[in-house]
Amino acid sequence: METFIQSMVSGLLTGSLYSMIGVGLTVIFGVMRIINMAHGDMVMLGMYGAFLSVAFLKIDPFVSILVWFPIAFLLGAFIYRFLLKKIVPGGELNTLLYTAGLSLFIANLVLFVGTGDYRTIKLKYAIMPLRPFGIAVPIPLAIAFGMAILITIVLYWFLVRTDTGRAIRATSQEPEAASLMGVNVDRTAIVTFALGTALAAGAGVLLAPSLYLYPTVGEILVAKCFVIVVLGGLGSVPGAIAGGLLLGVVESLGAVYVSVPYKDAIGFVMFLLVLLFRPSGLFGVGKS
Amino acid sequence: MRKMVVPLAILLLLAAPWIVSDPFFVHLMIMVLMWTVLGASWNILGGFTGQVSFGHATFLGAGAYTTMILYLKLGIAPWYGIPIGGLAAALIALPIGVICFRLRGPYFALSTLAVAEIVRLVALNWESLTNGPVGLLITTLPDVTFRGWMIDWENKTPFYYIIAVLALGAIAATYKMSRTRLGAYLLAIREDIDSAEAIGINTVQARVAALALSAFFAGVAGGFYAMYFRYIDPDAVFSIALSVEMVFIAVVGGLTTIVGPLIGAVVLVTFGETFRQILLVGHLILYGIAMMLAIRYMPEGIWGKLRLWLGTRY
Repeated sequence: METFIQSMVSGLLTGSLYSMIGVGLTVIFGVMRIINMAHGDMVMLGMYGAFLSVAFLKIDPFVSILVWFPIAFLLGAFIYRFLLKKIVPGGELNTLLYTAGLSLFIANLVLFVGTGDYRTIKLKYAIMPLRPFGIAVPIPLAIAFGMAILITIVLYWFLVRTDTGRAIRATSQEPEAASLMGVNVDRTAIVTFALGTALAAGAGVLLAPSLYLYPTVGEILVAKCFVIVVLGGLGSVPGAIAGGLLLGVVESLGAVYVSVPYKDAIGFVMFLLVLLFRPSGLFGVGKS
Repeated sequence: MRKMVVPLAILLLLAAPWIVSDPFFVHLMIMVLMWTVLGASWNILGGFTGQVSFGHATFLGAGAYTTMILYLKLGIAPWYGIPIGGLAAALIALPIGVICFRLRGPYFALSTLAVAEIVRLVALNWESLTNGPVGLLITTLPDVTFRGWMIDWENKTPFYYIIAVLALGAIAATYKMSRTRLGAYLLAIREDIDSAEAIGINTVQARVAALALSAFFAGVAGGFYAMYFRYIDPDAVFSIALSVEMVFIAVVGGLTTIVGPLIGAVVLVTFGETFRQILLVGHLILYGIAMMLAIRYMPEGIWGKLRLWLGTRY
């Protein structure tokens, strides 16, 4: 029983970050029908951002998110405005191939500028895990969890309460009708892509102290992102949040009860099953 | 004059190692031809059938492991192992096709990505068969005499001829396929899958056939990879990056053309390998840039554009 609770807890902690990454990918898909193969590389850039802050500026990674979130937002706006905008009308497969090119470019640029070494971030306060009720909770992951929850709540408030948020949801439901209602679809698209990128990079910053980082980590992460958003239904924000938590829990339970080496495969098998039998996601809210 | 182009090109291909015998150039040409086979393989599915796969490394890896395991465990020489590896890849393509072709467009692409990752994890963990992350290594290739000559496997030239024959085979097969009934079905599927279905084409069967043919050539190239590099491990032959590189060769060269993959491989691999020789890492930066430029400015690919100027259909 204790093992079960332990693995549920660590699954949910990791899952909260998966959710954040998944929400970024799903809003981008919802508004622009872009399947962003470079999303994992945005997470990777966030991880390196955290690493650089610790290594050179001696800033705590969890504080550095205040810097990297806006920078990633601008980077996303730039990528959409100057690279992707002209590609989007060409259809989903074109953007899929284009972002695959972008992904390879970003990952190898990092490999070229830096090195391919595996790196870790060591934090002074991360040596001993917290032990509430006898369950081990690594401190960096607990902080990341708290911040991910906070960011997700703010994001929810933003999407539900603000005009820009409403514009994003309207465009995602029906772009033509939204533009007839006076929504500036172009601007909404830029904001959405920027926001999605910032969420991915932000999650990367938060994840950095708990994972190894290397330039091609995005490859694995992007595959996981797709698992998350397909589980929850492509285009659905609540779906992506649930999908992220579910994947985190499934991986962690799978590692305990099935096998450690195959824990990643469980996610992919679930992904295939959902694609085949429930293409609109487990909660039936996505659009496909 | 036009009739002479193909025989001349083949003659040039076969004479190339005598014209330039510098080992780096021979290696470069071997890589170009290997990627031609892989690009042609992807083109059969992604170009002629319009089904974007991000998991073709599965078939390359299946071929590479089949060839390697047959040689190391049963002593079957790689030149038998290479075609058997192709067949093994075609065989595993059948269930994958039946499952994944229930999905369309980007969803199919994502499902192939998932399948490829599952296969990679299996290869990584099935240690009794694949030796896991340690990989498999060939120390010596068996002795062969060809017309009284002992083939020297330390020299790159024999490998050049093997891959040249495979590349010619892949291009010829693409050409043949495009002129059969199956080729016509595939084009119909690419243009409009619902209409194809409506006029009575069994689209699942046709797409699975295309996938199996495509997988055969990826597997053959994988077998060659194992024999040429003499070392494979799951992350080398089953990686997502490898699948993506195949896509790029085919797209940059020109989708749905016969010669496109060769042109794509010549351009990308030449730049990539030269870059790698000089700067060691990051040659895939060029692939990424080429892909973005191609999709943005030249979606029909280099050869797709050139062939209009040259006035040829191939």
